[in-house]
Amino acid sequence: MRTTPNIPDPDAFYEALLDTHAGLPATESHALNARLVLLLANQIGDQGVLLSCLETARDTAAHRRNDP
Amino acid sequence: MSGLSPTGYDLPIYDYETPPELSGTGRGRYPVVIVGAGLAGLTLACDLASRGVSAIILDEDDTVGVRGASSRGICYAQKSLEIFDRLGIYPRIRDKGVTWSVGKVLRGQDALYRFDLAVGSRSAQPPFINIQQFYVEWFLVDRIRELGRTDLRWKNRVTGIRQDEDGAVLTVETPDGSYSLHADWVIDASGHASIVRHALGLHTKGELGEDRWCISDVRFRKDLPVERWTWVEAPFNENRAVWQHLMADGVWRMDYQMLPNTDPHEASRPEVAAARLRDQLGPDVEFDLVWVGAYAYRTQLMDDFRHGRVFFIGDAAHVKSPFGARGGNSGIQDAENLAWKLTLVLNGQAPQGLLDSYNAERRPAAVENIAVTRRSGRFLAPRTKVERMFRTAVMDLAVHHPFARLLLNTGRMCVPHHYGPSPLTTGDAGQAMPNLALDSRSLGGMLRGQGAGFLALWCPRDGEDGLGRALSHLSHEGWPLHVQGVGADDRRVLGMAPGEVMLIRPDLHLAARLNDADVDQVRRALARAICRI
Repeated sequence: MRTTPNIPDPDAFYEALLDTHAGLPATESHALNARLVLLLANQIGDQGVLLSCLETARDTAAHRRNDP
Repeated sequence: MSGLSPTGYDLPIYDYETPPELSGTGRGRYPVVIVGAGLAGLTLACDLASRGVSAIILDEDDTVGVRGASSRGICYAQKSLEIFDRLGIYPRIRDKGVTWSVGKVLRGQDALYRFDLAVGSRSAQPPFINIQQFYVEWFLVDRIRELGRTDLRWKNRVTGIRQDEDGAVLTVETPDGSYSLHADWVIDASGHASIVRHALGLHTKGELGEDRWCISDVRFRKDLPVERWTWVEAPFNENRAVWQHLMADGVWRMDYQMLPNTDPHEASRPEVAAARLRDQLGPDVEFDLVWVGAYAYRTQLMDDFRHGRVFFIGDAAHVKSPFGARGGNSGIQDAENLAWKLTLVLNGQAPQGLLDSYNAERRPAAVENIAVTRRSGRFLAPRTKVERMFRTAVMDLAVHHPFARLLLNTGRMCVPHHYGPSPLTTGDAGQAMPNLALDSRSLGGMLRGQGAGFLALWCPRDGEDGLGRALSHLSHEGWPLHVQGVGADDRRVLGMAPGEVMLIRPDLHLAARLNDADVDQVRRALARAICRI
């Protein structure tokens, strides 16, 4: 799994991500994210990388909960 | 519509006969006793008989099937059909049953995903035939009687068992009273509530699922394609899942997902079932209910499929939810796996250690089947709002994006287990060979006959045939082996190179695939495959 920078224009991507969600109620935003996860997973197409991403995403949340 | 219509099924009733142990003519001790004349037990008895091995089979009932006209298994997978072909009942199953290969996953009227299992199939048998389980059992009984080596004892109910190192003693109850039966080997094929397992104090890890389903077997006049249709969210079932499948005699199996707290008696009342069907088929279609029954999914797994002199096959050893038809079909494969091993041991051609490989091969198969069916179950009954959200995302994407269609999981159809890690396997072999149609006959046809022989297919090198002679010598040394040279056409079908040997087990699994082989390599692989090392 790559965690060093790989997105060519990070600020433009981030803006596009927020714009994609703009105006949606929370439930529709969640549904959009679910579709997005599946679409991105298919772009990666590497089981090892996908499992590492899942683990990292989960661990990151755990660390945040443990912060003082 | 006030009740169930006559089924039209006219099932055979078999005569009870006073067992020799109660009429004073018993032999006292038998090599093989099978408990339970269901799918797995009958397949085992028939397979043993086809290899020349006699057995007693005990059944508490005197007919085929369970609970009258209900049918448990309806889908018979290619591997099972190949086994039935070898046993000689395949033509009857093909003629009576419904051959199908196309499946669809629907949302409302729209197909989200369509697959055709016939694409890429290389067997002489089709991917699937649907037929009521009791017909398969019926054909097996007929064939067993034809082979004439099996003592079928109806209305013989096993109530207890004890065993020592040399054998087991069963207590059997009959209309004439009870008797003891001594056996060298006992095979328990008596289903998920096995008395034998309880009597031996053996545990089975298990759970009963929360998800509730209700089957309606039904006849109607409406032209529907002979395909397996599954709805994840059916509008005519309050957006819960539905299965639609045709079996023999024009009977359709409809299986409806219920709410977890559904009252099973209410759900299976004929009036309630009829209302569901009217919603599904439309108001103008007349139908006859053949059988209705509610059920919950059950998972069970024994720690070890062998306990001393007792082997457990089929539902007695492992139970899983019905997704992908992995229940009955895996029981049939259990039976086939054990039959050739027992035959070799009883014939003195392999040591008893070979019998341990039954657990080593079939328990991992059960573990895999349970894992696969659990995934389907979780897709169909999301446990949380987030799980449901991902499922909706999959279905929404599946409409236009092919990748998402592979995530739709309404059951992964039963395929043979890969015995790669088995102690009997050499190298990276272990996969099941399809029953290939070769030049003169099918691959399985080459393995038909007395005993339990392996098949060595060898591909001649240019201008040299010493390999074939050397291999034939193995048979003369007493190894259970048929040797067959491969002609130019079959070479292409099998994808073999000159000097290559494929060593195929009696159950059509590949024991070894040896490039540029010599006879010592083949002998070693064969010795490994029957534990003669």
